[in-house]
Amino acid sequence: MFKKIEDLNYYELLEVSPTASSQDIHKAYERVRRVYEPNSIALYSLFTPEETAAMHQRIEEAYRTLIYEDNRKKYDASLRSRNELPEAPPSRPAPVYQAPTRQPTLPLQTENRYLNGTAPSSAPAAPAVGPSAEEVSPVSPFIAEFTGPAIKALREQRGLSLRSIADATKISIRYLECIEADQYTKLPARPYLRGFLVLYAKALGTDPDRLISDYLKRYDAARGHK
Amino acid sequence: MIELQDALRKKEIWAIGGGKGGIGKSLITGNIGISLARLKKKVLLVDADLGGANLHTTLGIGVPEMTLSDFLNRRVENIQDVIIKTSIPNLSLISGAQDFLDAANPNFAQKARLLRHLETLDADYILLDLGAGTSFNILDFFLFSDHGILVVLPEPTAIENAYRFIKSAFYRRFKKVVANQNIKDLIDAAMDQKNTMGIRTPYDLIDRVKNMEREVGEILEMEVLKFKPKLIVNQVRTKNDIQIGFSMKSACQKYFGINLEYLGYVEYDDCVWQSIRSKRPLAIEYPYSRPSRCIERIVHNLLRKEQLTLSMLY
Repeated sequence: MFKKIEDLNYYELLEVSPTASSQDIHKAYERVRRVYEPNSIALYSLFTPEETAAMHQRIEEAYRTLIYEDNRKKYDASLRSRNELPEAPPSRPAPVYQAPTRQPTLPLQTENRYLNGTAPSSAPAAPAVGPSAEEVSPVSPFIAEFTGPAIKALREQRGLSLRSIADATKISIRYLECIEADQYTKLPARPYLRGFLVLYAKALGTDPDRLISDYLKRYDAARGHK
Repeated sequence: MIELQDALRKKEIWAIGGGKGGIGKSLITGNIGISLARLKKKVLLVDADLGGANLHTTLGIGVPEMTLSDFLNRRVENIQDVIIKTSIPNLSLISGAQDFLDAANPNFAQKARLLRHLETLDADYILLDLGAGTSFNILDFFLFSDHGILVVLPEPTAIENAYRFIKSAFYRRFKKVVANQNIKDLIDAAMDQKNTMGIRTPYDLIDRVKNMEREVGEILEMEVLKFKPKLIVNQVRTKNDIQIGFSMKSACQKYFGINLEYLGYVEYDDCVWQSIRSKRPLAIEYPYSRPSRCIERIVHNLLRKEQLTLSMLY
């Protein structure tokens, strides 16, 4: 039914279904946020700047609520108490991705750089690394710039090991480490690096364009490209 | 079997408007007509831009002898007599009035007679090319049609006028279903964006009407759901321009509560300008150009009752 903008619930605000995965919510947020940007020409003459700002604020709130599992559960419960959601919540899909936690039985020799951290995990390689990993909380849009350490933090936030990224992307762990450490001199030539970054971004389920442009900007500056 | 379907097929009337002038309404109407005619549909184009008719020019026809003004002034009794055959099979045209001062402002009886006669015509599709602005005549043609199609350019001026057009059409439709004079006055007052009653959005209006008469408010709510204008974004140059259609859809949903259907976009290309300069229809002069392809895609969406979705873009 026709609702006032202020009365829209967070799902309606982001134009997603209440059963949407966190990945869908993230995509919807990125899209809706762009629609309600200040100076968005598609809104011209329809909303005042104050209304647009208020909308923007609400969209941020909606995203912060729905993207964190705990907050979302609480919010769903409050919606259900107001009869805005069907009573029986559809069971959310079980976490698809599980970070391999099993340690190799072989004692590791820490000084051996080939073995260090690269011991093949005995668990089968997780096939679901990447955008299909539904339960992985998506990129925080608040990352100001995708530097190596920021990428590393993002990866750790999602509970992904270097090994699993390497398995998913077929990039050697050595290069992944160099990317995360901003060791530009040890990285391959720019076109190859770009390809690596695309794969890495996809494995993290983040927007490759932003990651690449941020990373390569710093890379170019450091390597003295134009 | 196909003949049977043809016989059962209901005639559809599409109106193409948009508020602002010079945004390609006539060009899109003409070329949608040609695309439909090529699909073996019987198409009648009506230039309802009574003050500034030029649909005939986009089709490469000179100033016609018989126009709508002859019909409106009862120089001819039957609307059949003002229909001009074009060189394209299945496509005919009723040209707009041009030759007398008051042509742009037909009175109510003239308008009603025109709409009544249009309904009797034998065609699969009747396309009304509306003029610029939000005068009652234009709005009434838009509301009379089965499908109202809005054209916008990815520019603030065109978008502003498109919203104004939607709002005017919307409120005019409200007024038609309401009998109570007090509520009619309220709707008039709500049209004024700076009204003193705090009515900003259609939602506020319906809320106010509900307080006055609950049933009427509910009827208006039903009208909101039934109002489904369609959108074409013309002259797109970038991917962001294409996105504007989706953004407008979202804004309309939230502001008006209406479901704007995004039919498609037409890419910007110099060949459009060249075709106009050479006074030949785009779909004939440059059938494989990108704008022509875009228009074909729009026609397909219209026929299949589909709309553009985000996933189609990537």
